[in-house]
Amino acid sequence: MITKHLSFLFVLITSFAFCQDVTVKGTVTDEAFLPIPGVNVLVKNTSQGASTDFDGNFEIKNVPVNSVLVFTYLGYKDLEVTVKDGSTLSIVLIEDTESLDEVVVIGYGTQRKKETTGAVSVVSSETIEKLQPTRVEQALQGQVAGVNVSANSGSPGAASTISIRGVSTNGDSRPLILVDGNVIEDLSTINPSDIESVNVLKDATAGIYGVRAANGVILITTKSGRKEMPLTVEYSAYAGFQETTRKIPVLNATEYALLVNEAFVAGGQDPQFSDVTGLGVGTDWQDEVFESAPIFNNSIALKGGKEKSTYAFASSFLSQDGIVGGKKSNFTRFTQRGNYSVDILDNFKFNAQVFYTHTNKRNLSESALGSVLFNALNMDPTKGVRDSNGAFSIAEGLGNEVINPIAQLAGTYDRTKVDKVSGNAGLSYNFLDYFTVQTNIQANYSEVKGKVFRPVANFGSGKVFNIDRSEVVETFNVFRDYTFDAFLKYERVFNDVHDLKVLLGTSIFQTTGIFTGDRGFNIRDNSVENANIDQASNVESINQEIGFDPRFDSRLLSYFTRVQYNYKGKYLFSAVIRRDGSTKFGPENRFGYFPTGSLGWIMSDEDFFNDDGFMNFFKIRASYGILGNDRIADFGFVSLLDGEGTYVFDDAIISGAALGPVANPEIRWEKQRTFDIGVDLKFLDNKFDVTADYFKKTTEDLLVVPQVSGILGVGAPGAGPPVVNGGEVENKGFEFAIGYTNQITDDFRLSVRYNVTTISNEVLSVNTEGGFIPGGSFGVGQDPPSRMEAGFPIGYFRGFKTDGVFQTQAEIDALNANAAAISGDDDAQYQTNAQPGDLRFTDVNNDGVIDEDDKTYLGDPIPDATMGLNLSIDYKNFDFSAYVFASIGNEIVRNYERNQPLTNRSVAFLDRWTGPGTSNTNPRVTTGATQNALFSDFFVEDGSFVRLQNVQIGYSFDEFLENSKLSKLRVYISASNLFTLTKYRGYDPTASTGDPIGGGIDQGFYPSPRTYLLGLNLKF
Amino acid sequence: MKYIKIKYIATLTLIMVFSCGDDFIDVEPQAASSDTFFNTEEDYQSALVAAYDPLHSTYLNVIMGEIASDNTLCGGESATDVPGWQEIDDMIHTPTNSNLRDLWSWMYGGINRTNFIMEFQNNIEFPNKNSVLAQTRFLRAYYSFELVKWFGDIPYVVDRRFVLGEEFSINRTPKAEVYAQMEEDLIFAADNLTYTAPESGRVTKGAAQALLGKVYLYQDKFAESASVLQDVITNGPYDLVEDYTTMFENDNENNIESVFEVQYSDQEGASFDCLQCSEGNVAVGFNGIRNYTGPVFESGFSFNVPVEEVVSAFEDGDERKDVAILDIDAWAADTGATFAVGYEHTGYYNRKYISRQGDLNTGDANLTNPNNYRAIRFADVLLMAAEALNRGGLGDMQALQYLNRVRNRANLLDVNVSGTNLTNAIYKERRVELVGEGHRFFDLVRTGRASQEIDGFQSGKHEVFPIPLIELQLAGNNWDQNLGY
Repeated sequence: MITKHLSFLFVLITSFAFCQDVTVKGTVTDEAFLPIPGVNVLVKNTSQGASTDFDGNFEIKNVPVNSVLVFTYLGYKDLEVTVKDGSTLSIVLIEDTESLDEVVVIGYGTQRKKETTGAVSVVSSETIEKLQPTRVEQALQGQVAGVNVSANSGSPGAASTISIRGVSTNGDSRPLILVDGNVIEDLSTINPSDIESVNVLKDATAGIYGVRAANGVILITTKSGRKEMPLTVEYSAYAGFQETTRKIPVLNATEYALLVNEAFVAGGQDPQFSDVTGLGVGTDWQDEVFESAPIFNNSIALKGGKEKSTYAFASSFLSQDGIVGGKKSNFTRFTQRGNYSVDILDNFKFNAQVFYTHTNKRNLSESALGSVLFNALNMDPTKGVRDSNGAFSIAEGLGNEVINPIAQLAGTYDRTKVDKVSGNAGLSYNFLDYFTVQTNIQANYSEVKGKVFRPVANFGSGKVFNIDRSEVVETFNVFRDYTFDAFLKYERVFNDVHDLKVLLGTSIFQTTGIFTGDRGFNIRDNSVENANIDQASNVESINQEIGFDPRFDSRLLSYFTRVQYNYKGKYLFSAVIRRDGSTKFGPENRFGYFPTGSLGWIMSDEDFFNDDGFMNFFKIRASYGILGNDRIADFGFVSLLDGEGTYVFDDAIISGAALGPVANPEIRWEKQRTFDIGVDLKFLDNKFDVTADYFKKTTEDLLVVPQVSGILGVGAPGAGPPVVNGGEVENKGFEFAIGYTNQITDDFRLSVRYNVTTISNEVLSVNTEGGFIPGGSFGVGQDPPSRMEAGFPIGYFRGFKTDGVFQTQAEIDALNANAAAISGDDDAQYQTNAQPGDLRFTDVNNDGVIDEDDKTYLGDPIPDATMGLNLSIDYKNFDFSAYVFASIGNEIVRNYERNQPLTNRSVAFLDRWTGPGTSNTNPRVTTGATQNALFSDFFVEDGSFVRLQNVQIGYSFDEFLENSKLSKLRVYISASNLFTLTKYRGYDPTASTGDPIGGGIDQGFYPSPRTYLLGLNLKF
Repeated sequence: MKYIKIKYIATLTLIMVFSCGDDFIDVEPQAASSDTFFNTEEDYQSALVAAYDPLHSTYLNVIMGEIASDNTLCGGESATDVPGWQEIDDMIHTPTNSNLRDLWSWMYGGINRTNFIMEFQNNIEFPNKNSVLAQTRFLRAYYSFELVKWFGDIPYVVDRRFVLGEEFSINRTPKAEVYAQMEEDLIFAADNLTYTAPESGRVTKGAAQALLGKVYLYQDKFAESASVLQDVITNGPYDLVEDYTTMFENDNENNIESVFEVQYSDQEGASFDCLQCSEGNVAVGFNGIRNYTGPVFESGFSFNVPVEEVVSAFEDGDERKDVAILDIDAWAADTGATFAVGYEHTGYYNRKYISRQGDLNTGDANLTNPNNYRAIRFADVLLMAAEALNRGGLGDMQALQYLNRVRNRANLLDVNVSGTNLTNAIYKERRVELVGEGHRFFDLVRTGRASQEIDGFQSGKHEVFPIPLIELQLAGNNWDQNLGY
């Protein structure tokens, strides 16, 4: 400290002594010699400096000769120039294409990517522009190693499930998502083109977010203006259409009728169709259901800045129809955003931002028994959409769930409107040279209005969807949350080599909400025009009946500190400790401490390293820490009267106070120990960059809801088992990303990026009775097909293995004889009621009979590896990009077949067993009782796929721009989801609900559409 | 100056923030905490409503009890439709019967809700307290009686809730002790309630006495049974409904014959996800006619279908036959109604409790039928009293009079028998009077006639059902399985 002061004094004295000060003037431009306003020009080791004006000019008086000027500007390489005399300088800043000099957001601050010690990935606005996603999540898939995104549906506005480095919990595995520090649960409200960057914290360095960090953290920064930036206006628009990528081949009317007859005869019943001639191909229900659907988007953004302030404003409108149901699954989004920042004083800064979003989403029945696509696949093709009287045809005899899908669509009126206002404001104050105090407040307010009208409908006798009394349900839910952060930073470089940054902060978070709603009946004229609560009768509140608390209030109180230190910019160290208190846990376990630490070494900065050789940059880094997860229901630690206690006195329903779920005062947060080691490399003149990581995450104290003894009263309405900490899951894997970027000629730039992630997931223990947690559903009334169980991946599929099809009775007799011999029971059967043509299950435990104990691992929905390949070519005025995503080694359960005597089937049944030797894959058809519909590997398919996710070709005009105010005019065409290579026979191999246990089961998944767009970008 | 001010504000803000104490995260739940709940009469009344609620889930006891008997077959869509019920019908019990497990845990849900009130019975005094406790204790006895009928000895605590983990150490209480507790509860209830309740659906003195008489009868305590049942007959406000055909219609609920009736409603929706949460009578939809289209009735799932043998048990001219049994083929021929043939189709439906038109059909309409379950009818009281008198050797004349009162209402002539013949006549009358109401299996068991009447019934084993294997495991295999399982 003293030496520093002394040396400063020395410099001061010497400069006075020589007294050779000059005035330095100059212009700063980019490589195209266009002026750059707002460049920081600083005399090194002083606070003397200036920034360039609108024309890129600067002037600094009294600059000592031989002092060094440092030019810095975001996105450009820093430049140092020694002052020789007072001549005018022409400075050319070179654009920084090296990603390692990017700034990354690491939570409560930013850091140069070069100096980070954690596994942080960045997706830039450039990538988002190239993909034109309608939702932010779509821009993450395959772009970032270790991040897996699966759309829960292809319907417009549908949510996606994001998992970072595997599924680490049986509960809520969603990462924490912060938009400008603001907690956002629903990304559909964000316009992707408002985003400047997406940063993903994948390892222990996410520990700065403590109890919420175990599933990873995604930090989204929105676009803002720059100081001294002239007003720029960007307008972009695209329009196009979407279509289904696939139709599942099912039987046509004639084939169907023949198979139905065969099945009835095999079941000892009369054939249903006496004459199949003239049935032809019948109705293709998928053709009836799918349509080509329009999509268009418009957005305009203004930004700019003055000497001490910046501003930005953006507005956008998106409307997208669905490929199923068209307008009945429309999603419309309107967003408005404004931000402003100002330096009130040089050391006192203020920024504020406001978002407003309105979305309107129309919903239809999806991914369920009896959903629109499920019905389209199972509906009788001999029936027309309408009968001879013009009424919708009725699906008589096809089971209680299968109905005419067009009639179903016609009777669907379901929409959700969201109005959301988000805002944040922050102050930062710099004092005593090295200290900065900063406070931010972020708040969200949203109103979610739902409305469902169910008109009187008869889809056939006994159908579960029949409505005898028209009904309207209106819900109104309000959610509020705010985050208040305050922190103090101390940032100082000692002796030019010891770079120390200390952060000390606190954060409070509160989220509250209330659910209200009414249900009313007997809508006049059965008409949607009259469908509102005011005109309904027998109106009742819907929250009363389910006996649940319509309000919630969860809070978090945190203190954290982070120390970052580096020596000469090459030995890097960072440590974080956070203390979190969460309302989710009881008084004794309310607070947790989350320590993490990380180290890095930039080997390429060592003297012995020749960075002019093959290798230009080499960093090795490692991190370890403990992160938490508190995403469980509130108040599991205390026994509350939040059960359902409803009875009827004097013919009126009355609700009382009933005990809710059994309390467990001992519950504490899930704890994740996470380790990461990685390298960042650049080589061959920085043309190649590589990032590779190995990680291992062990989640302990998983919050599970085990089955408990019925005597505890858990079977009463609204009661239930307690939440307990019992289970352990491990995820480990590799991430590897390589990029190649080269400006080959002036006209030709090529960039190729590839990344691959492997994940091995294993459940280490589950401390519930039986040692497993079941989930998911298959068929009707069958055991849950998915399990979380020690020794297997989380949510693996469990059922019977098949060993072909029984060809002859002799084959069955031999097995029965063996079963009798082993068990000593003469009536023992190998497989209940098996007949030739039935699937032959494998006797896994070799006890001679097929029973519960023969159920075994049949696959799991977790891919062994996922990879993304991005190709980008700029040639003259053309730009081209293509993006391929692949997922390997995930299984999918085919569960869109109802298997009733009269439901339609896949064309695979044309190759069914009809006699010895005919088929060893597809069983016979019969209406008799068989076990062929039991969950077995017959229904489990390989879900691996390679998909051309997006292709885009653009052309930027420059000929006639010179005389106009336009600085950019680009048109492009793009196609997304162009083709998919897969063996999976369903609509979409990405089919999943995203549930940790029960995901990967396809019930007629709404496929992701293929989209063709024509777009325009303007800038002036 | 400005500089100082800003600095001051910034520091102040920081201090303010850091002083945000740990109590920020002390959030009081909106719902009351169970340990501090009982402070006013309203709290007790409110908890009592919740203690009545599990009565709704006894639909399962009724339908499964009937299926277990020789009155009906399981039916349904196919041999694998509700496998637990099919097993019970066939008297083939596997250790994993989820329906038996439901019954076990739903009835314990009821016991816990009543014990919750009893645990805090001494918190405050208020004028209606004895009435609240009397209703509570009746309900506890009702749920306990169900568990004892189905499972025999049961883990049992009184006046407190089970504690998490206690299942690993508590033993099964012999059923005699549980019966003793039921008797005590029901005597208290009878002493502290009146014959007419302020609201229909509430427990009355008559209900408590009738259940007490039934509990005695199940223990062959004929004198005690006869005495308390005769008290109901003599002093209670009950009589037989003159026109038996109106008995089970929804516009004749809580009638003069109803001693205790489980109250259902069609006003709230329900789903298969939580059958015990339905405020409707779930059994009615399950009993209903498969894919029915036609007058009067509505579609259902064709379970619990009466067999020819019980249909022929009715004497000629018995008015009750066409009320209890729907001959679907004859009905379809008369009315043009259509229906589908389900599994184990017998041609008959349990007409007392099948879906009828005219209710609100709140979704899922099969689960929200409003038909009240007439749990204890005066006819049942008369027949139980007759049986107690006869089998206890306490007066066949009076017994015969009660029996003939039931017969006359059905338009049948008096019988005039005594001794064992009278016993058999009473048994026979019970069967036809109460068919479809879930009593038959337990009547056969308690009178030792089950193995003669029910195919596959093994004496010494099938009197009670197996405790579901998972429940044994969840209690750390702390309890012995019932004999023979």
